[in-house]
Amino acid sequence: MGGLWSYFRGLLGAREMRILILGLDGAGKTTILYRLQVGEVVTTIPTIGFNVEQVQYKNLKFQVWDLGGQTSIRPYWRCYYSNTDAIIYVVDSADKERIGISKDELFHMLREEELTDAILVVLANKQDMAGCMTVAEVHQALGLEALKNRTFQIFKTSATKGEGLDQAMDWLANALQNKK
Amino acid sequence: MYTLVHGFYKYMVQKDEYCVLILGLDNAGKTTYLEAAKTKLTKNYKGMHPSKITTTVGLNIGKIDVSGIRLNFWDLGGQTELQSLWDKYYAESHGIIYIVDSNDRDRIDDSKETFDKMIGNENLQGIPLLVLANKQDIPECMGVREVKPIFNKNTHLIGKRDCMVMAVSALTGEGVDEGIRWLVDCIKRNVYIRPPRNNEN
Repeated sequence: MGGLWSYFRGLLGAREMRILILGLDGAGKTTILYRLQVGEVVTTIPTIGFNVEQVQYKNLKFQVWDLGGQTSIRPYWRCYYSNTDAIIYVVDSADKERIGISKDELFHMLREEELTDAILVVLANKQDMAGCMTVAEVHQALGLEALKNRTFQIFKTSATKGEGLDQAMDWLANALQNKK
Repeated sequence: MYTLVHGFYKYMVQKDEYCVLILGLDNAGKTTYLEAAKTKLTKNYKGMHPSKITTTVGLNIGKIDVSGIRLNFWDLGGQTELQSLWDKYYAESHGIIYIVDSNDRDRIDDSKETFDKMIGNENLQGIPLLVLANKQDIPECMGVREVKPIFNKNTHLIGKRDCMVMAVSALTGEGVDEGIRWLVDCIKRNVYIRPPRNNEN
């Protein structure tokens, strides 16, 4: 009986999840997208515009949008906000100078009404670099304690080495399934 | 006219919202407890499987409607480096649940120290406190009789607030709803000291 029930639930829940990957330029968004999709490190150039790919993780299908992160094109992020289930926010943990800007962009984005229900995953990327910030440091630098109405989680990742992405996607998949 | 009716309807169905902070050392079982509480007290909610719960670095939120009010749970990460973030939530909390791993004898003093630091904070004065001796499903763990004296030592820090130590197993769900019901009663009694959070946001 339980099996039957979950089968029908599976049918209902077959909607593709829409996920945005955002973050400053050079944080590693495109590398993460293709690491998720093909499992390899691809050589990337700065994204102008967007990359969109369908990613299958376990039994969930995601439509993942990777938007360019340069200053001039950040204002266009908002064009993609509607119907977003989750945001993957990528931070370059080795870039201490720009973490403040990253924080401002994050909070600017989270104020949008269309994103009130979106789950947030922060990836403290580039953990393979020497002298990078730890997860707690990133947490503090981004001022995440101000988020009191939203489920979020930080993961340390290294997109080039492929570390941490699996845990992050596991958590995200669970959180998305539980949200329904 | 519509606005009036709508406003009245909202006023009638709106529940007072109170915030409960779930704290404790890492691996005490905070997230598992939250899932168990959601499963027990929410209709048609199937909790996350315990094996899928990972270390929290961030915030998990759970909303539970119980005896006429809404509880908003904040489950925070418990690792040492994350404990410095706890106090950002104190001023807005209406109740604290402190979870202890009863099977971790090596770190019980550690847990007690963290506990003392937390309850000493002035923003938490008078806020009801529920201490849960978790993992009672493990046979060789410390029972509530053993845990209670450890956490009741510093009565001057606990002060006048409501404080209770209970046994619980987040894994099996045993003792979960008793604790929450106790806390709800205390929070309601404490409403003059800390009124409910406005639902405006």
